[in-house]
Amino acid sequence: MKFLLTRLGFYLSAFWVAITLNFFLPRWMPGDPATHLFVSLKGKMSPEALEAIKKAYGFDGSLWDQYLAYLGKIFSGDFGISTTNFPAPVSETLFYAAGWTLFLVGISIAICFVLGMMLGVKSAWRQGRFFDTFFTPFNVMLYAFTQPVVCLLLFYGFCIELEWFPLGRAHDPALDPGFTFEFIGNVAYHAVIPLLSLVVIGVGSWHLGMRNTMINLLNQDFITMARAKGLSQRRVMYRYAARNAILPQITSLALTFGYVLGGSFIAEYVFNYPGLGKFTLAAIQSRDYAFIQSQLLLVTVCVLVANIISDLLNLWLDPRLRYAGA
Amino acid sequence: MKKTVLVSCLLAGLATSSAVVAQSEKAQIKQGGDLTLITKLVDAHVRNFNPYNDAVGQYYARDFMYETLWIPNIMHPDKPIPVLATSYDVAKDLKSVTFNLREGVKWSDGEEFTADDVVFTVELAKKFPAYNVQGVLWYDETSGEGNIASVEKLGKYQVRINLQKPNGLAYLGLGAMYPLPEHIWKDVKDPKNFRNENPVATGPFINVKRFTPSIIKVCRNENYWQQGKPYLDCLKFPQYSGNEQALAAAAKGRVDWLGVGLSDTKSYSKKSKDNKFWLSPGGNTNLQLNTTKAPFNNLEFRKAMSMAINRTDLVEFATFGLTTATKYPIGTGEFYKSWYNEENLAKYKYLMEYNPKAAMKILDDAGIKDIDGDGWRDNADGTPINFKISVPSGWTDWVNSVMQISENLQDIGINARAHTPDENAWFDAVPTGDFDAYIMWTHSNVVPWGTYNDMFNPKDMNPPKLSFQAMHQMRLPELMVELDKFTQTIDLDEQKALIGKVHEIVAENLPVISLFANPEWYEYSTRNITGWVTEENPYVRPMVHGGTPERWFHVLQLHQK
Repeated sequence: MKFLLTRLGFYLSAFWVAITLNFFLPRWMPGDPATHLFVSLKGKMSPEALEAIKKAYGFDGSLWDQYLAYLGKIFSGDFGISTTNFPAPVSETLFYAAGWTLFLVGISIAICFVLGMMLGVKSAWRQGRFFDTFFTPFNVMLYAFTQPVVCLLLFYGFCIELEWFPLGRAHDPALDPGFTFEFIGNVAYHAVIPLLSLVVIGVGSWHLGMRNTMINLLNQDFITMARAKGLSQRRVMYRYAARNAILPQITSLALTFGYVLGGSFIAEYVFNYPGLGKFTLAAIQSRDYAFIQSQLLLVTVCVLVANIISDLLNLWLDPRLRYAGA
Repeated sequence: MKKTVLVSCLLAGLATSSAVVAQSEKAQIKQGGDLTLITKLVDAHVRNFNPYNDAVGQYYARDFMYETLWIPNIMHPDKPIPVLATSYDVAKDLKSVTFNLREGVKWSDGEEFTADDVVFTVELAKKFPAYNVQGVLWYDETSGEGNIASVEKLGKYQVRINLQKPNGLAYLGLGAMYPLPEHIWKDVKDPKNFRNENPVATGPFINVKRFTPSIIKVCRNENYWQQGKPYLDCLKFPQYSGNEQALAAAAKGRVDWLGVGLSDTKSYSKKSKDNKFWLSPGGNTNLQLNTTKAPFNNLEFRKAMSMAINRTDLVEFATFGLTTATKYPIGTGEFYKSWYNEENLAKYKYLMEYNPKAAMKILDDAGIKDIDGDGWRDNADGTPINFKISVPSGWTDWVNSVMQISENLQDIGINARAHTPDENAWFDAVPTGDFDAYIMWTHSNVVPWGTYNDMFNPKDMNPPKLSFQAMHQMRLPELMVELDKFTQTIDLDEQKALIGKVHEIVAENLPVISLFANPEWYEYSTRNITGWVTEENPYVRPMVHGGTPERWFHVLQLHQK
């Protein structure tokens, strides 16, 4: 119980620090939303219009007053007004983008994880043989590719030259979102290349991580014993070795999911995918404080919740924690 | 007595002036079809059709939905385009402007458009100063800004706007307003935050048929006041967030009209014979020098700088051949070429020609030599010359330009370097006056008056509230006298003579170093649609983005092949 309370205290203070930073970081950057709009139009806006916009955006009161108002708003679930889409509330675009990011990045992490685990188990089991000596370096090489290169190559090859896949977007704009076969099929079709680009890059680290943990385990006594008992190869590989090796991977999976809402800016930008990464970058460039802090808040909450879940899991799995200091 | 400007039989007259829409062809013009256009790159469409909303509304609501009173035709200043006003009168004392409004125009809900709507719109700007009603600036006693004193309805279709100070140019700003329907907007409590999701307007495209974050489809106004127009059925605004995506779609013919930056015109036009573009010269780009300190306070140094820059390379390489060379050292360029007095300006042409030898001679004669022996020239008093030319990082063509200019200057022994801070940091640094040199745009207006006023009005030259255009901080009272005279006449010849004097004063003093004119981005596809503005038939400025009211006239000429 005491362990749980200390953890909870830690999370609350971490949350406070995070939301405070979320508030001040964007405001420490040079520039403000109105001047950005002015600069980006390179002389197409009159100085009078700039003054009017500054008045319209009206950040009332001192930074401290704004901070207090911001804290109050967080607890009432009000994300504020966006300046890039003035005067639309931030939540309008934030949740739209969050949905697509959850879909795209979530699925890509799931695919990377499953694929990485399978490849890792197999290459550890056949350490030093062809499968391992080919796929392990190959995946590590892909992992070292930078995302812009992979995304642009796939975009140029499959979307522009071969025209097998659409140029971008999450779905055909002519279709209305809904649970129809046509719409879901269309979304899947549009997601293929963006997903491929994320998986190509992402799978290597899971593969390598799993392979290394597994190789360590394979030298342990309980594996030797399982083999000595005459259990089948399959049973030893999956039930004894892989099952134990996957535990640390699951912890890092929980943390990775915490960052899902950070989005994947490069893939989203190249494929014009309406995800949070792209929206957030645009918001940072145009100093849309309300949007930046709301997106950071989402990420903060997700990371903390993922941590709490992994803590609770540990608590349940490891009795030592429960009795510590009791 | 009033000076009356009357354009008779207005639209018919204009139509004949543009060859594409000659009367004889009208019979064969096809009705129907959709036009796909990109007015702004966005991450997601947000429903907002408030025409005076600068963040979102103006990109779709202006010109297509809401119509202005009067469009000054910058390509052909002698053929202005009357819209909701059929004519205007400027009072002889230049203290008022009267607009005669078009009869028989209806708002899309059936109500009639009258003088009341215009009066309402002008008064709305007074009631809500934070609501940016374009062109309508009330006189403000404390700041001295603005010029409207009062507005009155003279008849059902006649409005007079009285001015605080006489000004012959006031009709330009006032004509640019988009009247709002009084019967709808009188109930709007907070116009700047009003999203106007279901617009009532007079324009050609008014029925919002489809609105999603990835596409907007707006269809024709069935009761439009111009018989038989628009030719097209609907406008489609697909969402694109970046240049690459938009150009890839355009190259494949999926977008008909757009205006995004091209760096490789060949790869765009070779995709299809229907992919066309025309990059007309826009506002001029200049180097702004901080003339409050050495060496920039030395006219000989500024002359040498201007002659040391290889402008042919700037246009051809640094800016990818997309810009237009500036002819004279007057701070403005081809955008205002109808205002040149070539005879008087010819003697300043040498300042625009690349001549490093002559530049070095000027410096030597002025005593700007390498005094301390470090290989770089120093001021005549021995202090070293060492400065930075700033440009925001990421503005590729301008970064290239500044790097080339630095090299050109180094070639004649001047220690100049390019400096590329973050865009917002750059912006914050300007008003402080703490800088050496900047590359800078100029404002494009209907007449050059605004461009020069922004550059030379001494009230903008006070650090730390220095304005972007007046960063050079050179006070030229004799120039301001000519500019003030400009506002006190509506005679074009007189105005040209006054601007001619301004040109010479600028060329004599070189407060800024003129470089080149930025391109106005305009790409279009002839796959399905015809009637486009072309380089051969430039009937109006062709751009699709907001701030080009001529797009109203342009879109009404477009039709299916």
